[in-house]
Amino acid sequence: MIVCVAVVGHQSFTEADDALKLHHIVHCSLDVVDERVNNPKKSGPLNESFLGLLCPPENYKVYGYLTNTKVKFILVTTDLDVRDADMRNFFRRFHSAYVDAVSNPFHVPAKKITSRTFAERVSTIVKSLG
Amino acid sequence: MEEYPEELRTPPVALVSLVGCPELHTLISTHLHSEQPPINTLALPDFSKISIMAKTQKDTSASGQAAGILKRDWLLKHRTRVPAIVAALFSSDHVSGDPAQWLQVCTDLENLKALIRGRNIKLVLVVVVQSTSKHDISEDRMIALRKRAEVDSKYLINFVPNDALDLQQSLNRMGNTFAELANTYYRDEGRRIKMRLERKSFSSIELNIRYCFKVAVYAEFRRDWVEALRLYEDAYHVLREMIGTATRLPAIQRLVEIKTVAEQLHFKISTLLLHGGKVIEAITWFRQHNASYRRLVGAPEVIFLHWEWLSRQFLVFAELLETSSAITPSISFPVSGRADRLTEWELYSAYYYQLAAHYLKEKKSSLELALSMSEAEIDGMAESVVPAVYVGQFARLLEQGNTFSMQPLTDEDYIHYALAEGKRFQDSFEIIALVKKSFEMYSSSKAQRMASYCGFQMAREYFAESEFGNAKQLFDSVASLYRQEGWVTLLWEVLGYLRECSRRLGSVKDFIEYSLEMAALPVLPVAGVLSFSFKECGPAGPASLAQREIIHEEVFGLVRGQSSLASNEGNSSLKVTGDHPIHLEIDLVSPLRVVAATSNDQSVHRVETALVLSLVTNKWLRLTYDIKSEQSGKLECVSVIARMGPHFTICCRAESPASLNDLPLWKFEDRVETFPTKDPGLAFSGQKFTQVEEPDPLVDLKLVASGPALVGESFIVPVTVTSKGHAIHSGELKINLVDTRGGGLLSPREVEPSSSDNLHVELLGVSGLECEDESKPGMENIKKIQHSFGLISVPYLNVGDSWSCKLEIKWHRPKPVMLYVSLGYSSHSSEPSVQKVHVHKSLQIEGKTAVSISHRFMLPFRREPLLLSKIKPVLDSDQMPSLPLNETSILVVSAKNCTEVPLQLLSMSIEMEDDGSGRSCSLQHGGKDLIDPALLVPGEEFKKVFSVIPEVNVSNLEIGTVCLRWRRDSGPEEESGSNTAASEVLTKHRLPDVNVELSPLVVSLECPPHAILGNPFTYFIKIQNQTQLLQEIKLSLADSQSFVLSGYHNDTTFVLPKSEHILSYKLVPLASGSQQLPRVTVTAMRYSAGFQPSIAASTVFVFPSEPHFKMAHIMASPESIAVE
Repeated sequence: MIVCVAVVGHQSFTEADDALKLHHIVHCSLDVVDERVNNPKKSGPLNESFLGLLCPPENYKVYGYLTNTKVKFILVTTDLDVRDADMRNFFRRFHSAYVDAVSNPFHVPAKKITSRTFAERVSTIVKSLG
Repeated sequence: MEEYPEELRTPPVALVSLVGCPELHTLISTHLHSEQPPINTLALPDFSKISIMAKTQKDTSASGQAAGILKRDWLLKHRTRVPAIVAALFSSDHVSGDPAQWLQVCTDLENLKALIRGRNIKLVLVVVVQSTSKHDISEDRMIALRKRAEVDSKYLINFVPNDALDLQQSLNRMGNTFAELANTYYRDEGRRIKMRLERKSFSSIELNIRYCFKVAVYAEFRRDWVEALRLYEDAYHVLREMIGTATRLPAIQRLVEIKTVAEQLHFKISTLLLHGGKVIEAITWFRQHNASYRRLVGAPEVIFLHWEWLSRQFLVFAELLETSSAITPSISFPVSGRADRLTEWELYSAYYYQLAAHYLKEKKSSLELALSMSEAEIDGMAESVVPAVYVGQFARLLEQGNTFSMQPLTDEDYIHYALAEGKRFQDSFEIIALVKKSFEMYSSSKAQRMASYCGFQMAREYFAESEFGNAKQLFDSVASLYRQEGWVTLLWEVLGYLRECSRRLGSVKDFIEYSLEMAALPVLPVAGVLSFSFKECGPAGPASLAQREIIHEEVFGLVRGQSSLASNEGNSSLKVTGDHPIHLEIDLVSPLRVVAATSNDQSVHRVETALVLSLVTNKWLRLTYDIKSEQSGKLECVSVIARMGPHFTICCRAESPASLNDLPLWKFEDRVETFPTKDPGLAFSGQKFTQVEEPDPLVDLKLVASGPALVGESFIVPVTVTSKGHAIHSGELKINLVDTRGGGLLSPREVEPSSSDNLHVELLGVSGLECEDESKPGMENIKKIQHSFGLISVPYLNVGDSWSCKLEIKWHRPKPVMLYVSLGYSSHSSEPSVQKVHVHKSLQIEGKTAVSISHRFMLPFRREPLLLSKIKPVLDSDQMPSLPLNETSILVVSAKNCTEVPLQLLSMSIEMEDDGSGRSCSLQHGGKDLIDPALLVPGEEFKKVFSVIPEVNVSNLEIGTVCLRWRRDSGPEEESGSNTAASEVLTKHRLPDVNVELSPLVVSLECPPHAILGNPFTYFIKIQNQTQLLQEIKLSLADSQSFVLSGYHNDTTFVLPKSEHILSYKLVPLASGSQQLPRVTVTAMRYSAGFQPSIAASTVFVFPSEPHFKMAHIMASPESIAVE
């Protein structure tokens, strides 16, 4: 089950709907994203937005995705048996939802996304993956 | 890792037993230990001690069912008690000695053989040859000894300890033999057990594991790491299969045993993998190990054992990884693509330390739970429980008289034992140590967020241990990261802890700061769907609006002095009282910046006190002040101080809303769009300071310059001060001359301001000061004039009055100059302290050269002295002009007006420098001095002719300096009107030196000034020889169409020294007009110099008939003709 989806912009943290621990997990996983972005040599070339598994699967699996504008999507799931392809697909759909949300002229960039439609779309995507 | 026994932690080392000759044991042990691979020795001083190696009685269980998996002491036994080789050391004296000694040797040997019989232990005989008894041991005895011992001859070693070379040889031979034999021994042992494995001749699964383990250990003895690894893995897999099937022990203890064995096997495997440099494999292996055992939690009563075990797995692996990464620092990341590829953190030992701490924490909490459930019963029951024979088993030690016996435990007893053991340890410190290690590693690898998370956990542990000082410090550093990144929820939690810490520490100020920050945190408004359980969140409770309100109420109650909070420290309570007033300073780095969203008002240095204020949520409060500016300059609102309650103040730096946008948390504020002032532009950019301008001056300052200044003259710049509304008190006029191109007005070489020669532009003075200072003698009259700066005081001027003065400026070089004049005055009274008003004016004035003077030398008409220096080829073009000695030369000096104004030329003369050595040349000027000044319009040139006769033959003759006196022509009407006519200016121009030389020959042509058609005239060519030498002269004359001539055309004559040769030709003009005389060419053979007169010199005008004009007026002088 996907327990947490987070959008992390340059500085702001926008969407998560669960416990403190998940906040910690998401926050810590940003270090991995930084590491991957900053040391592309060590971890292989970074030629796609999908970052794959970020943290060792302990109780959760943490997947990451980085848009061209350096907005990070982090997904935390308790399902230890997920396929990368599913995750890729999920992030692709999530990304387009995000793009639609921030294209709203009333959205102020780098601020919290308040759109209810976005929230609904995200829950739909999350549910579709189980 | 330290809690593992030594024999498990280190790779096994072959063991050799030395018996007899104890004096050599140290020497041999040291040598064997330094062998590669090393060999350990079990040294027995004499043969009576050999029983230590004796086989222990094996207590085979009756049913053939093994009672456990691994025996606890098996490894130790093979490392310390069961040698691969027994080396019997005999002294050669004993061997070759008397029969009693020989018999003793044989007996010892027999005993030894009996001991190792059937155990495959290799026997080596060492005969120590004492070189003092040099006689050889008889061959017979040696053979007899060897036969008796039943060893091959190569295992009989002669050991010679007394000679250094022999000793080394003996040692080497012994080492090689031992190594070979040990290898054989362990290989045979391993093979023996391996055979059982292959035949599957074992009765239980435990034995299977045990055999695998043993073979692996034997392989390790042989340093066959690959085989060892394979068999350890086999053992591990078999063990894993055992979990569901085994029924031997009570359930809890069974699992404990299996896990303990698994731990040991895993440790061996990891060590082997890491030492083999297979880091990735080791990590993958660990991951599998973790995955397969993590879920085997076991019985809920002793779940803490599982967490402890898991924590230990992580800790040990972390330590292994750390030590091995110190050896092999660069780990190449595996090629991505595999689905379960490793992530970055798995390569860092920090990650494992962190998880070790995490599971230890699990253990701590579950242990506490278990203890609380069985608090009463766990005393005394566990005292006699000891580790049993098998690894991972425990038993009760029963004392019956002198004998001890082991009694198996029931699970219940075991639980009690485990709880009692668990109580003995302080896990918190262990957890802190682990997290700290992880924290440091993450910090050093720049993973700030992971490090913060570790720091947070560390701090929480300190908090749980009531070490609030440490906790607060750590929480603070963590909070700063969360603040910076704007993670509200995490920040909320940390702040909650911090608030609690400062409450416990009794720090009121911190408590208020943290509370205020929390109360202002933009907590997500999804308070309804909070899924935080209260257990999970910090002392501040879940981050919600309601909680914020509670904190808000609490802190405001406190700052108003209405309530107090209990603190832990000495029963004192947190209180804001008159004795302890609190003053918060919110500066640009304070986290409370967001809280104190600033208002945009102004307060000057003095404090403006506002009345009771009330701030409304999300509305800006406007405070308006009237400020009377008293001084010009920057007026800034520095801070706003708010007072709440009697003893609490907050001092807040003024900021604009725009600068708050840098704060991550500010972005969460919903309504930044509301503006603090009505002017949206001002509200957004904010303006906390303003420039106070000085009052507009109501005084005119006028500078007038009449065109460009001329070099040399005193240029007058009138300055007029006119009051147009302000009376002028204590006015001061500052004058500054600045070079427009920079670089000052002094020439760069000379910086002494005293030498006015090098000053390009100079302020000479101020004239035209009206003599008011005489009428007001008391008035302070400042007048300071320097070369480029002047300060003069302006008298009191009433409204409408004006005052003027004239600045005299002199240019020494042509140069543009900026003239700055500024008037400072006070408009109201003459008090010096009052703000002055300033008027600035500037004017650029061009400095120009007035006249340019040029000159040239000419020779007299139709008289050509031969100057030898002109014949020589001239290399340098700027050669000095040469003048003939004692001959008259013509000097024409011309002065050109370069300005745009007419000038009056008063006089021009040449001043000779009288150097005391008498006159070197005579100089006369033709014509008269100017009686009336000559008017020179712009661009016009004035010429004057001088004749120069050098009288001394010098190479450098100073001609003198042209002195030109001139002044501006100010027009006829002005000149008559006032005496302000421009003063005379003297311009000097030094003439260059000339070279004087004696000319050896002078050729002069003489003919009448004009001729008449048909009338003959005589044309003389005079050649004057001024030398003491005879001069050969060649002469040729070319015919001319206009004249008929008599005389010879070509001739060569000799001119006598100091005499003159005259050639005369009679010419009759045939044509009228300006006619060319026959060209004559004179060549001086001695100097090979030819001469031909110029066209002008050989031209004559022929009148058609006798002209009729008054000859008296002509007064032909050569000079006047020479002027063009």
